[in-house]
Amino acid sequence: MRVERILIVNLTRLGDLLQTSPTVAGLRAAHPDATITLVAEKNFAEVCESIPGVDEVYVLDLDRVGRLLLDGGERLHEAFVHVREVVHDLRARRFDLALNFSSSRMSAVFLGLLGVPDVRGWSMTPDGFRTILHPWAKLFAASCLNRRFASFNLVDCYRGVAGCLSHPTRSLLYRVGDEARSAITDRLRAAMPTADRPLVSLQLGASQPIRRWPSESFAALARTLVADGFDVALVGGPGERDLAESVRQASGGAAARIVDLSGRTSLAELAALLERSALLVTGDTGPMHLAAAVSTPIVGLFFGPALPFDTGPYGEDHVLAHARVACAPCEHSVRCLDPFCRGTIRPELIAAVVRARLAGDWDAIADAARGVAPVRLYRSGFDAHGLFECRPIGAVPPAHEDVVREAYRALWLTLLEGTPPPSLQGPEVDLAPFRALAALARAGGELSQRLERATRVEASSLDVVEEIGREIEALDRAIAEHGSVHPDVTLLTQMFAFEKESLPGAALDVLASETARLYRGLRQSTELIQAMLGRREVPEEWFDASLHQ
Amino acid sequence: MDGGGFFERNCSVLRARSPSLVERIAAEPVTSGYEVGRAGSGDPLLAVHGQALHNTVDPRADGARWARTALDRLEAADAERAIVVGLGLGYHVEALADRFPGAIEIVEPDLRLWRVALESRDLEKVLARVVSSDASEPPSTATPSSSLRTRVLPHQPSLLRTDGIHRRVYEETLARASSSGLQLRFLVVPPMAGGSLPIAGYAARALRRLGHEVRLLDLADFRESLRLLERFGAKPATRARLEGALCAVLGQGIAAAAEAFAPDVVLALAQAPLDAAALEAIGRTGALRALWFVEDFRRFTYWREVAAHYDHVFTIQTEQCFEAISSASAVRLSYLPCAFDPAVHRPLELSPAERSAYGSDVSFVGAGYHNRRRALLRFLDQDFRIWGSEWEGASRLERVVQRSSARISTEESVQIFNATAVNLNLHSSTYHDDVDPNGDFVNPRTFELAGCGAFQLVDRRRLLPELLRPGEEVIVADSAAEMRELAVHFLARPAEREAIARNARERALAEHTYEHRMQALVAALVAHAPDRVYERRRPPTFGDLAKSESGPLAALLRRFPADAPFALDPIVERIMRRDGRVDEEEAIFLFLHQFQELYLGEART
Repeated sequence: MRVERILIVNLTRLGDLLQTSPTVAGLRAAHPDATITLVAEKNFAEVCESIPGVDEVYVLDLDRVGRLLLDGGERLHEAFVHVREVVHDLRARRFDLALNFSSSRMSAVFLGLLGVPDVRGWSMTPDGFRTILHPWAKLFAASCLNRRFASFNLVDCYRGVAGCLSHPTRSLLYRVGDEARSAITDRLRAAMPTADRPLVSLQLGASQPIRRWPSESFAALARTLVADGFDVALVGGPGERDLAESVRQASGGAAARIVDLSGRTSLAELAALLERSALLVTGDTGPMHLAAAVSTPIVGLFFGPALPFDTGPYGEDHVLAHARVACAPCEHSVRCLDPFCRGTIRPELIAAVVRARLAGDWDAIADAARGVAPVRLYRSGFDAHGLFECRPIGAVPPAHEDVVREAYRALWLTLLEGTPPPSLQGPEVDLAPFRALAALARAGGELSQRLERATRVEASSLDVVEEIGREIEALDRAIAEHGSVHPDVTLLTQMFAFEKESLPGAALDVLASETARLYRGLRQSTELIQAMLGRREVPEEWFDASLHQ
Repeated sequence: MDGGGFFERNCSVLRARSPSLVERIAAEPVTSGYEVGRAGSGDPLLAVHGQALHNTVDPRADGARWARTALDRLEAADAERAIVVGLGLGYHVEALADRFPGAIEIVEPDLRLWRVALESRDLEKVLARVVSSDASEPPSTATPSSSLRTRVLPHQPSLLRTDGIHRRVYEETLARASSSGLQLRFLVVPPMAGGSLPIAGYAARALRRLGHEVRLLDLADFRESLRLLERFGAKPATRARLEGALCAVLGQGIAAAAEAFAPDVVLALAQAPLDAAALEAIGRTGALRALWFVEDFRRFTYWREVAAHYDHVFTIQTEQCFEAISSASAVRLSYLPCAFDPAVHRPLELSPAERSAYGSDVSFVGAGYHNRRRALLRFLDQDFRIWGSEWEGASRLERVVQRSSARISTEESVQIFNATAVNLNLHSSTYHDDVDPNGDFVNPRTFELAGCGAFQLVDRRRLLPELLRPGEEVIVADSAAEMRELAVHFLARPAEREAIARNARERALAEHTYEHRMQALVAALVAHAPDRVYERRRPPTFGDLAKSESGPLAALLRRFPADAPFALDPIVERIMRRDGRVDEEEAIFLFLHQFQELYLGEART
């Protein structure tokens, strides 16, 4: 089908919107004449104007909806009318394809309302239930719930959903304006008349305290960098000015070479500043992705809930330090009372990495990576298929977690993109949970075959069908419980749960054959990853991509 | 006065919007006492009976100042409509009309002033812009546009007029606004026990029916804690201190509840365990503190300690009570008589068995106070029953006291009222042998009997005649002897009894329900503290919105009770409960619900 109008919905924050940019580029290449509309939340919509390939930015004023809902009564009615107008307005554009990159039930209902024929991502069934459409979207949702084994970068998940993984974009994209460039040049000249030293920017803040490197660490880093001959710019939002001031004050004599621009730049100016910087040191933040989009090298600090594998800066040769403590990554929803992981990344290590990275000396970075456990350093880049990957720096033997993550990555690439499975290195993995899951999947296959037969034979009583239905329900509970007990297989059981959730409310015989397909798919995935982890050859006939569509 | 022919021109503009008002103004005779002179600025100046209604130097500049202050208040409230009470010569309204983009209504109850104003100045522009009224027609707050966020603004010089009419209209306008659009959050604090405990429940229910959000604190279980203090065997003085300490703890608990619930108003009933410290703590939450003192101020005097810590005290007595409380504190005082709840006190169809169980020619329901023990002896030769507690030791009445003086439930008392031919209502006294000759307040029983459509003989109370007409709606006795005579008289006249009881019920339903009282209470609170309580409006109901909507949304809205407040939760619950396709309207509500869950969880709690 010819795609003329494409809708992308992303109601998340700055970073996520920037991470949409390679998908826009891929869609633009695949559908050069199509109109691409990006729906974004008002507070973060500005960035969308500078993403190449977007024809229209449709702004949702969610703050207004929130205010109306808090007021209630007539204002609730006003909120209803407002949303109805938005829905009608968007529906009138008659989109052919909609990609929902917001993983929320709210966005699912929103997509359900728009009536687009091809929706991918979170959506709503006609009877009001959440459904996740497209294998890559399901994989992303399942990975969010099993982040230890989340093996793909968010950007590649988006690209997978859009079907443009083959597009050669290897960077986030953002257009820096000339006006912003000259404003930043003037600002830096005014702050540092002798600005002939390389400028390292430090992004101090983050959306949550757990994601923020301690200000003392930033201050110590700033002191060292200034002593090493760099100028330092402190960047951040208006809410981070106090933080910047405390870092400056703690920097002692180095303060003269530190310019505090936190809260003093527009988004466009921040992009220009990052472009002008030789390097950015940052946590997992929106400005990190902005730096990636303007091709500025990044030294990324990952701790707390942040993982370099799924949200690391999309681009080559960034250095990502991950505090791989036993409890990492923590859940997004938890409030850690002892965020010791932040302190495991020492400012001396980061200073050494910054120096070496700016010198292009990867051996020095590998040297720095020695003896800093539990911190691990990774180099960002792309694999043979053009997908983002984090390669460990230094001679670090893969741990159990790494092997399983690698196996899952290979599994999904095989199943979703048809790439041949690689050989795996690393410690042995206990295959018993996989074998047990495969047995459950086989049992499901048999049950669904019985169901198929029962629906074909007219004489079958409803009681028989209902009895099989009850057995299937019990089996699905057993599969979910098995996943809860054995974390290594949780990603498989979660994917299966999402697949089941997406089964169409169709006639019984169709439902029976679809159910059979899902159990076969679960069995195939499980046996495939089991074979890879068991270092066995994987028979080619096992690949049946249709089971996972 | 009308040198420029202003009157005709003004009237022609005014006629376009308010024809009947023009008729009334034109019919008003020209009278003395309304003098139009010149201010220092040369502008016309109006004085009513010697009292200037505008600044005598520069009324225009004064009007502009008034409008600036008014505008601040309107903007602070995000108001969409201003109702100005008091026209004067219109300088302030003109200035407001220039600055305020929303709707403006002017309420001037004095038709003579209207006439003088229309004769004295060119008001065409402002009259074309505003809605004018003399408060004699249904107020705009009762119209469909009443959902506009409204502020009532007084023109102070008008309100200061000695005839008081503008003050009354101002308060009435506020009251109308309060009953039509205001939704407040109430924390109702009952006592642990006693006569005002059920009143707290009735008041809470009435407030809810009026659309307010209400939390009724249940303190009944703490009565047991008070009783358990006996275990310590303390001496009386120490025991009193212990009770005080327990009440202090409860008071802090109530303050904590106020802090958590964040009410606009904490409404305490008499005997609620709130001491000065608790009331001060509640005051710090920003809530208005109101006390409905449904007790005889002479008998219960603890108001001396607490009245000053309330913002508003409502009493069931007037002059002497006001005087006494005013001498102890500067708290605002309002008269708010007792009432009845039509859902509880109502006429019943009784079975023969119930009539035999609860009925008699004459009965009395109530506690065995001193005067009752004496006065009711006169009925021993009648088919007479006494119901209620605390009759122990009244040996001569023992024969007629029912159930060994056990407490009677409210529902049983309703059956007794309905089953009795002549209900006696003798206000209690601890120091009279008969009717209290100076009795003023009217007890709840009076209204409850009226609500039941029951015939009652009540002792004379000074405040009764304005509430129920003696001889037509109730029969009043000055003494026990007269009460007995009247009982015998009316026992022989069932038709008269029935007519009087019917009249009483009609009057009570029209004027004496708890909803009427709570409406008056809200109006009084609003009138005296508009800035603090005027913000919240009653949300529209599903019915309101169904009327203004059409199509599928109207159909969806009509599936909910028309008088239920329009809210998201019931809609979503309904969608979740049923199977099948979700239509567009439902899906939009689901979207808003998910939005609320995602972003507003903490903000709402």
